[in-house]
Amino acid sequence: MNLVPRHGPIPKGDFLIVELDPFQGPLDLLLHLIRQQDIDVFDIPISTITDQFLAAVQEIGVEELDSAGEFLEMAATLIRIKAQMLLPRPGDDGEEDPRAELVRRLLEYEQIREITTRLSRSEAERARRFGKGHVEPRPQRYVEDTPLETTWEEVMEAAMHVELPHPLTRALRITTGLVAMEEKIQLIMGRLKDVARVEFKDLVAPWKEKMHGVMTLLAGLELSRQRAVTLRQSRLFSELWILRGDPQGWTGALADAENQETEPEEEV
Amino acid sequence: MKASQIVEVVLFASDAPLKAEEIARADESLDEDRVQEAIEDLRTLYDDSERAFQIVELGEGYQLLTRPEFAPYLERFDTVPRPPRLSGPALETLAIIAYRQPIGRIEIEYIRGVQAAGVIRTLQDRDLVEVVARAEGLGRPLLYGTTRRFLEHFGFASLDDLPRPEDLPILLRDRAPLEELAESEEPEEEPEF
Repeated sequence: MNLVPRHGPIPKGDFLIVELDPFQGPLDLLLHLIRQQDIDVFDIPISTITDQFLAAVQEIGVEELDSAGEFLEMAATLIRIKAQMLLPRPGDDGEEDPRAELVRRLLEYEQIREITTRLSRSEAERARRFGKGHVEPRPQRYVEDTPLETTWEEVMEAAMHVELPHPLTRALRITTGLVAMEEKIQLIMGRLKDVARVEFKDLVAPWKEKMHGVMTLLAGLELSRQRAVTLRQSRLFSELWILRGDPQGWTGALADAENQETEPEEEV
Repeated sequence: MKASQIVEVVLFASDAPLKAEEIARADESLDEDRVQEAIEDLRTLYDDSERAFQIVELGEGYQLLTRPEFAPYLERFDTVPRPPRLSGPALETLAIIAYRQPIGRIEIEYIRGVQAAGVIRTLQDRDLVEVVARAEGLGRPLLYGTTRRFLEHFGFASLDDLPRPEDLPILLRDRAPLEELAESEEPEEEPEF
């Protein structure tokens, strides 16, 4: 499981949270606009930036942005700052520039981005050293974190192609004859005359209908109840073996198998 | 047995970094200082004999790791386990937690500008961050910090190995932490609740 992409400055990793956005968040977009135009962070032309920010959000399309609400919240903040800038401010009464908090956030975010890049580099460097068969603990997956990679159109498309079971085919599947358990008992005993044990799978192999499987199992259970055979299965869902039940044919192994109470998990 | 041999077997058998004090538990003749000495001896020995592995100090301990220049040979084998790399948002969140720990979710989200609950939980699942305390404020929010596993993942011996803010090109040198800012803005107001 290695889905680490080999391109792009920020490795997206094979991680649970997938951000489809071209920008990681509103601060990322804002920073991009500012840095792209070589704007002085300490003197942001808030009106211009606000317009550009809104235009960018519109261009990307709100539905493309995973966290549309956060982008809109930033837009609201920008508009508020813009409004505050327009209000006449009394001179030197120590009141802060309305942009100050935003500038702080942007610089802090930019610093975090720089640290992130460096961490990523350290991570890559560390990944070049291997320990002795060290296996990273697997992340636990939460259902709600599984990204939805399908569009509604695809879901619709798939739904349109679902074939409902045809009523006629069902009608045709009415069983033509009954399978008798007696028959299966004879089958099992007959097979066990030649060999000491037989696999359940082999007994039902010639037939397709489930009823044969059911009856063979019932026959096996009945014979087991009569102590004519012993059923064994090493663990859940593994092969089911039917062993000849008479103790003379089986020495140590059978004695073990007969001792049903001591190995309950091996019994069927 | 020589001390360096005992230290060597312990390092060889371990698949995670071990602290000197942990290694010292292997034998009564060892203590932290002797372990350190032994490690230095082994390092010289490995260098002199051109071993392809080294004793690396990381995650507050020591671990035998291959030299990075040999990575291309190992990468050809699918069976050699490779630690999964973290996503951009995960790294970003981790960076914030690493530098500002203990820190709460709300503050992380404020710095990133986006929600962080899912990312934090994933980082917790991968044992890279953990809840270290609860804040005193309303609702007593959980505060997160980085783990030893975090140091291991990035190959840091301790948090001191993180890139220092003053070494970073972008910087707001006199940036006060958020809570101090809030206090300085309303100095006379005492939080009563």
